[in-house]
Amino acid sequence: MNRSIRRSLYITSIFALVGAFCAIVWHGFTYAGAGSASVQRWIETATLLGTRNVVSSIYLGTRFLDSVLELLVFAVAVLGVRHFLDETAPGSTAEPPDPSSESHVVSAAARLMLPIVVLLGLYLAVHGHLSPGGGFSGGVVAASGLLMAAIAIGSAPVSRRLAPPTALERIEWSAMLLILALVVAPVAISLPPFSPLLPAGTVGRLASGGNVLPYNLLIAIKVFIGSWTVVQQFLRHRGGI
Amino acid sequence: MNGSIGIIVAISLFGVGTLGLILRRDLVIKLLALGLVNTSAILCLLSLDSQATSAPPLLVPAYTQQMIDPLPQALVLSAIVINFAILALALVFVMRIVEQYHTLDPQRVEHEVEEERR
Repeated sequence: MNRSIRRSLYITSIFALVGAFCAIVWHGFTYAGAGSASVQRWIETATLLGTRNVVSSIYLGTRFLDSVLELLVFAVAVLGVRHFLDETAPGSTAEPPDPSSESHVVSAAARLMLPIVVLLGLYLAVHGHLSPGGGFSGGVVAASGLLMAAIAIGSAPVSRRLAPPTALERIEWSAMLLILALVVAPVAISLPPFSPLLPAGTVGRLASGGNVLPYNLLIAIKVFIGSWTVVQQFLRHRGGI
Repeated sequence: MNGSIGIIVAISLFGVGTLGLILRRDLVIKLLALGLVNTSAILCLLSLDSQATSAPPLLVPAYTQQMIDPLPQALVLSAIVINFAILALALVFVMRIVEQYHTLDPQRVEHEVEEERR
């Protein structure tokens, strides 16, 4: 078949698909929305769990199985990146040049901002059950602080100051195993898995929300180390930054 | 942002992403297009119940308006993490392909593989 005919067939079929999607959204789909019974149910669940952030009571409470599987997908991806990029061609793993001499202003600003960004990530993780945030966003914020430092002063000096890669890997998998242990632990006291072990506490206090606070902290550690590993592997492999 | 505007933008992004995924021959552009499709799905989920008058999903007495549905926001979190994981892993595979075949064109890679088989 002629290439231009094939291309126009592709475009027509895509627009037909998009049109069908629009029709479904506008006519065949009704969404309950704000103030509906399901929203009231989520509010009741959050109050029972002791979290002020309703979203965190969903993904670390009622639907925590989803989050555990999502973490496993993330862990497998990080493992894949580490495995495939470790098998790099000889020569491409050479330490990239240190870019710190390029601009003193940039490197000084990065050094100044790094602890603030990491602290912000920690705050997001610890306060995840009270305000917008959580383990995922906190971990990514802290890892992006390290990325900023790696761009400004080079990835090798940053990773030298952190723990060695094998220790980081151990901490990452220990966090994952601790999450799984917290999930299964209630079985030992004749409760179904995923039940909260810690008390709900008073809504609005830092020590509230049952298991949400430890889950958020462990997820933040896992996501922080995983994201940093991915970024560092890419930087090392390219040798550019 | 009004919800229906978000849905319209999401549908347009989905179309552009799918077109890029099918028509472009550069593997990195294909991955960027895949990211665009994923972003459109996230925007669509968030726009379903988005109204300027709704309160955010926080149990704070200061918000007197009706609360927005928190479920799409919880689902979006999974979508973002899985998108990141897929993109990172796919980029590694693209890097391996470039290392071995020195091209980003999947048709040329196929051609090279066929040549190797013969």
